[in-house]
Amino acid sequence: MDRGLGCTGDRGVGGSMIMPDAWLPGLAVLVPALSAGVIFALSKRPNLREAATLGAAGGAFVLVAWIVRLVLAGEKVALDAGVLVPGVRLAFEVDALGALFALLASGLWIVTSVFSIGYMRGLKEHAQTRYFASFAASIAATLGVAFSANLVTLFLFYELLTVATYPLVVHDETDEARAAGRKYLAYTFSGGVAVLTGTVLLFWSTGTTSFVNGGIGSVAGVNLGLARVVFALLAGGFAVKAAVMPLHSWLPNAMVAPTPVSGLLHAVAVVKSGIFGVARTVLDVFGPETMHQIGMHTFVAIGAGATILVASVIALQKDNLKRRLAYSTISQLSYIVLGLSVLRSEALVGALYHIPAHGFMKLTLFLCTGALYVETKKKNISEMAGVGRRMPLTMLAFGIAAAGMAGIPLVAGFASKFYLLLGAGDAGAWWIVGVYVTSGVLNVAYFWPVVSQAFFEEAEADPKPLIDHPMGGQAERDVLASRTPLNDAATTGFHRVPVGREASWLILGPLLVTTLGSLVLGVAVDSAVFMALAEQAVEAVMAP
Amino acid sequence: MGELALLLAVPIVAAGLIVAVPSRRWSPRFATLLVLGAQVGMAGWFATRALGSMGVRQVMGGFRVPFGIEVVLDGVSMLVVLLIAIVAFAIVWTIRSGARSSGFYGLCLLLVAGLTGVAIAGDVFNLYVFLEISGLAAYGLVASGRGGKGALSALKYLIVGTVGATLYLLGVAYVYVVTGTLNMADLAVRLPEVAGYGSPAVLAGFVLIVVGLGVKVAIFPMHVWQPDAYADAPDDVTALMAALVSTTAAYALLRVVLDVFTVSFLLANPLLHDVVLLAAAVSVIVGGVFAYRQEDVKRMLAYSSVSQFGLIAMGLLLATETAVFGALLHLVGHAVMKAGLFLAVGVVSLTVGVRTVDGYAGLVKRSPVLAGGFAVLALALVGIPPAVGFVGKWYIALGAIEAGSWWMLAVIMVSTLITLAYVARLLERMFMRDPGPKEDGLDGLVTLNATSVSVLVAAVGAVALGLAGPWIGGLVAPAIEVLVGA
Repeated sequence: MDRGLGCTGDRGVGGSMIMPDAWLPGLAVLVPALSAGVIFALSKRPNLREAATLGAAGGAFVLVAWIVRLVLAGEKVALDAGVLVPGVRLAFEVDALGALFALLASGLWIVTSVFSIGYMRGLKEHAQTRYFASFAASIAATLGVAFSANLVTLFLFYELLTVATYPLVVHDETDEARAAGRKYLAYTFSGGVAVLTGTVLLFWSTGTTSFVNGGIGSVAGVNLGLARVVFALLAGGFAVKAAVMPLHSWLPNAMVAPTPVSGLLHAVAVVKSGIFGVARTVLDVFGPETMHQIGMHTFVAIGAGATILVASVIALQKDNLKRRLAYSTISQLSYIVLGLSVLRSEALVGALYHIPAHGFMKLTLFLCTGALYVETKKKNISEMAGVGRRMPLTMLAFGIAAAGMAGIPLVAGFASKFYLLLGAGDAGAWWIVGVYVTSGVLNVAYFWPVVSQAFFEEAEADPKPLIDHPMGGQAERDVLASRTPLNDAATTGFHRVPVGREASWLILGPLLVTTLGSLVLGVAVDSAVFMALAEQAVEAVMAP
Repeated sequence: MGELALLLAVPIVAAGLIVAVPSRRWSPRFATLLVLGAQVGMAGWFATRALGSMGVRQVMGGFRVPFGIEVVLDGVSMLVVLLIAIVAFAIVWTIRSGARSSGFYGLCLLLVAGLTGVAIAGDVFNLYVFLEISGLAAYGLVASGRGGKGALSALKYLIVGTVGATLYLLGVAYVYVVTGTLNMADLAVRLPEVAGYGSPAVLAGFVLIVVGLGVKVAIFPMHVWQPDAYADAPDDVTALMAALVSTTAAYALLRVVLDVFTVSFLLANPLLHDVVLLAAAVSVIVGGVFAYRQEDVKRMLAYSSVSQFGLIAMGLLLATETAVFGALLHLVGHAVMKAGLFLAVGVVSLTVGVRTVDGYAGLVKRSPVLAGGFAVLALALVGIPPAVGFVGKWYIALGAIEAGSWWMLAVIMVSTLITLAYVARLLERMFMRDPGPKEDGLDGLVTLNATSVSVLVAAVGAVALGLAGPWIGGLVAPAIEVLVGA
């Protein structure tokens, strides 16, 4: 073990071993990264600029798909770009887990790009060049996170992701947006500092930071107290982006960003890079056996379980649809963390499968919200009575994705939750089963009002406040008083439009694609490549 | 023998000539650039020679060590000499505060000579001489701006700086009285043999020397001269000083602590070791907090230097191989980053007179290149990988763990967040706010000129240095092993 100043590395990929395939992950990161520059250069020519975005999205997806094919065939796709700091190389190595995350991010980027074009142009937003360039840079960083072969490389892209998404959070340039941006930076960089501290400690105590499926061997030899500190720093740091309570509060504020950003970055790429970090820590740094030894998984489980329930209850009280979705995201992300903490095969498969499942469903919900905003300028659920007539396909898609969130069969959320429940039952952790079931009920409770408002209510009808009021009910006059402004706000009503004419196809197309994706992931579980990747990842961890 | 002296002789002689020869037919600026270019060439040439061996040691004037004047170029001083030459060339080339007299350029060259002398001095007394040469040049440069404020700040700098230098000299006297030698290598041998590390005279010498150099580096609470001097000096001078003067003083601290007193001295006096480490840590935190509270951008960056030099001092005082290299890398990286940042601030102040944090609102719309370069440098300072700010911090943090100082690790990590706080405050205004009204805003800022290109080059340099960190580490490892005595 050489920790001197020289150029030694702990992971030697010899020159002769470098295959043409090795360049695939590098290219997949470079394509969106370079496209950010191209987008800036084309700022005066919007059509070409958007073509660059779509071209990069398509190119990155093809490259990632190629990598996925290789990974499924059992090949190792690794790229070594030299020494980052002595003993740690700037290296990519794609395993099933990384491939799963990369495929999700790059695939959904195409869909979201199309939607972004419709959304930004529909609203005549300012600073569109900065928007598309930052988006491309964010995806590049996300793919870097997915492919990283060790913690330091992962940290590098993890921090770059924070920097790249900041302009998107502050896009509006209002005081509220800037405040949200400050909070975002403060939270995520604090988490980053914890991750860095944990990484340095890990490197010092084991001499490596490279991921090994099933855990780094030498971690088991580290003194128990230090191992616990390292785990707490790493998992706690990553938990900030994964929005585990009480580290979540940046996420609802970040909803001030344009809706496609909230959709892809704050429901898929950014938050799941946090989840991904937790997964790497649990599975590939410590590994299930060492996790049992240091016994920290119980704390993780308690934190995640509490987050699931508390966030769901808070979601019930939010009238702003994006905020409700944000708390739903917080709750659903902890499904994954809770599943990881169970440390059983089925639960792990469920947790990993929930990454794409939640990605598709939540992106659908956000795209629907964005479509509603572009067409009707409505942000609050209380103003949406009867909107199903104006936007039937959109609200249908919303309904399907919401059903999936609640774990209703035929949609993606059912499949992942099924495995999660199986794993929790297998481990005999009945309270976890209880948490998942209760959360399903709460999901129905906070999504049903949206669907019912859209399809079954008239603008003039009574509002249906759920638990927005003190326990035990309230006096009649209070109820009356609270009704008046609502009725005022919702007097416009909505017209029925012909099917397919409710919004631009740039907006409608993407959200229908993600809805279809949610259904495919729920019905054809075995044929969807994500399940194969999730199972391969778990096999590699459980039987190293 | 004695070619190393050229590094000193060329700029000193040139400085004299530039001042003495009337300059009606030729431009003093051009001549200065020529000399600095030659300096870069010489530094590069000597650097390649210093690398091959364990360093180059030469005596001057034919006297034998330990009586003669010795100059030393090893892997560590080589880095600093190169840095001084390159950064001075870049700054003189890119930025000018108005028409400059030949006296100004003479002082610039004298500063470069003095700093280079500090970097290669092989005995503690000559270190003092070169510290004073560079100091006198710096006082003159700070005062060279128009108006009384610069003169006042220069006077303050003169008084405080001289007190610092005197304390250092007093410390040297104590050490000399005990050991009878001034040569660094000789002192390292004789201190434990003749006096012992516990002797009160040696301890007093150490404290006086460290405090004296601490004034020059501007470690809190000896930093009081620095924000005023930076803020009131002409803009080109600020860039030069921020990049080089404190940097070289910090290098001198490294030399004296590790080469003269050595790690064994620190180990023999754990209480003293803890106290100096604590002072450095306090500097990190307090400097950062002060930086956050500034409205004037130059003062903000000045306090940021107080904080960053605290980090560097911490690294070298930790005195493990890893930490010392981290300190050295951060020393060089910080010079490049601060040079770029002060160039950007300088050009904004020179062309449109904007100096406050709020005045920077909407800079990106006026000059995207400048704003982009500034942002990269600022984020590099925070320590976003793969830039040099991250790599330096990684080594220092690893060194802190190796030394078992958990609270130092905490300070290093917290300093990242404090740096982020003051940097983000400025970046948010530059990128996420609309420019102010045309009359007093940034209107009139040139979109692209030599300065914005230099800022961009510094930004690229900050990232490249980070990526090249391990490579540089390999180059200077033998020298650092000698320093730390591993």
